[in-house]
Amino acid sequence: MLKIKNLHVSVEDQEILKGLDLEIGPGELHAVMGPNGSGKSTLGYTLAGREDYEITSGSIEFDGEDLGEMEPDERAAAGLFLAFQYPVEIPGVNNAYFLRAALNAQRKARGESEVDGVEFLKMVRESLKGLDMDESLLKRAVNEGFSGGEKKRNEITQMAVLQPRLAILDETDSGLDIDALKLVAEGINRLRDGQRSFLVITHYQRLLDYLSPDHVHVLSDGQIVESGGPELAHRLEEQGYAHLERASA
Amino acid sequence: MSALAQTLMPEAQACADDYEATRKVGLQRLMQHGFPDQKTEAWKYTPLRVLEQRETQTEPRTMGEPAALPAWPVAGTLLHFDHGILQCDPGELAEGLTLMPADPKALEQRDFDALYGGREGAFSWLNLARFDHAWHLQVSGEHTVIMATTTTDAFSADVHPRIRIEVLPGARLTLLQDQTDAGQGLVNMNCEIDVAEGAQVEHVLCCKNHESVWVQRTDVDIHKAAEYRVVAFDRGGRLTRHDLTMRLREGTAHGEIDGLVVMDGHQHVDWHTEIVHCTGHTNSREAFRMLAGGTSVGVFNGRIHIFPDADDSHSDLNTANLLLSDQARVNIKPELEIYSEEVTASHGATIGQLDDRSLFYMRSRGLSEAESLALLKYGFAAEPLMQIQTPAIRDWALEQLKEAL
Repeated sequence: MLKIKNLHVSVEDQEILKGLDLEIGPGELHAVMGPNGSGKSTLGYTLAGREDYEITSGSIEFDGEDLGEMEPDERAAAGLFLAFQYPVEIPGVNNAYFLRAALNAQRKARGESEVDGVEFLKMVRESLKGLDMDESLLKRAVNEGFSGGEKKRNEITQMAVLQPRLAILDETDSGLDIDALKLVAEGINRLRDGQRSFLVITHYQRLLDYLSPDHVHVLSDGQIVESGGPELAHRLEEQGYAHLERASA
Repeated sequence: MSALAQTLMPEAQACADDYEATRKVGLQRLMQHGFPDQKTEAWKYTPLRVLEQRETQTEPRTMGEPAALPAWPVAGTLLHFDHGILQCDPGELAEGLTLMPADPKALEQRDFDALYGGREGAFSWLNLARFDHAWHLQVSGEHTVIMATTTTDAFSADVHPRIRIEVLPGARLTLLQDQTDAGQGLVNMNCEIDVAEGAQVEHVLCCKNHESVWVQRTDVDIHKAAEYRVVAFDRGGRLTRHDLTMRLREGTAHGEIDGLVVMDGHQHVDWHTEIVHCTGHTNSREAFRMLAGGTSVGVFNGRIHIFPDADDSHSDLNTANLLLSDQARVNIKPELEIYSEEVTASHGATIGQLDDRSLFYMRSRGLSEAESLALLKYGFAAEPLMQIQTPAIRDWALEQLKEAL
């Protein structure tokens, strides 16, 4: 589904990703861990198409298409979703209206019929189940005045409604208490259907305890330096990242 | 005499009627003070070159068929100023509405010097010198009034409509003022609104101007336990200037101003607002937003003035502005002038651009760049219009906003 080969990415002329290789197959859940500044969020933003994240060399293929040539909204319509580490507040834009507009924009781009208000409400209510999220948040402006946990749950709600084929979760666990973390993990697990793929970016192993990743990768200084199974996350939890920093020094 | 004065003050325009003495005062003051230039603080950012370069005609003021009127979202009594002339039969108004010529003696006794000041009030003096008719509308009971001001393509005159709206004690008025123009003239309007004890006024002012020059002055007096709320939705014009002054005359008076200006191209929009707390135990609030695209220029001067001994007055002024292009400009000046100690008054002003992070967030969810920009602008702009309390007018204004964006 996703093939990243020798990816080099610069932000404001500073190279952040320095030859990253990664392949994610259908239905797989990959976790990317690594210390601060290793390039984890840069990877997420690059995949989603953020401006100023310049691919200087290498390639990203998503279902055989060159992702680098696609606009952010085209990537979304193709089935890519980024749950932001810091979801943006958009004053004045109704949360439900925004989500429905996004859903219909994607459907339109794919040549599918638009979803009417009644059908949309049904979809949202279904998506809210289990997230312990107050429906009234849908009537408020996007993320405005939401707590940290509510913002993260709103991201998961969006993901559930938009039904992406590949979801990138950028430190979705940061700022969540134990109960909220569990709810968010359950929300992610409900979307695992053997076809949908996930790239989970995290610092900690605790989210992965709930998600059972197929593969765990360690990102350090812009490259994946180690890959393994869930046991790798446990080892990193015990040992930390200091040995990686020593190695790169 | 300046070219502008020569154009706008031909002596032949003097009308011999009951208002002659009032017009004479207006003309004298205008001759005395002259028209503002960029050394005049209140007109510093609004040059009058556009007007100076035009030769407006003084006759005829009516241009055949009146301009077509749009459909409004509410039913109400229509006061239609077509090319500055009120097209209305006073005898056909709903019960509780009385339209009559203003009392000439009352006009003569008004202290217009205190109201209009010097050169900065030149267009108010011009209105006083040049109005055709001065109207007086009295409102009792509960009413919706639609006050439309229009011109047609052939319009190249200068007109000076004048009306005083007196909302009697306990009355409720919804005033939808809708202005649009065609042609290349000057509309210089003067509107006074008096909100008597216990009365309530919701005033929605929608302007969509083009090549004509529009100058409007609105003076509002709010009395005991009365409420006045205005929402202005201005979609710009070649050159427009609004002076809105709200005076809280007696204790427990309450006033609110919400404003939205959406401008583009080479439009120039200037709003000067003033909230005057003449006495204590009065409350006011103002929030004003501008979106400036193209090479447009916006001016917002918001002033809160609290008199001595006006204790227990509360006022808040906030303005937020969005520049949508590198060439657009907005000039913002919030002012507090407070002479009483036991008050709360605050102001805030921001000028910014659309947030790249928000734009990316929306696009990452599937919205195109154009859709995302429109939604971001709408999100910023809708808030003042959400303050409209009549749902049908609010929805109508929000639809117009969507079209404008």
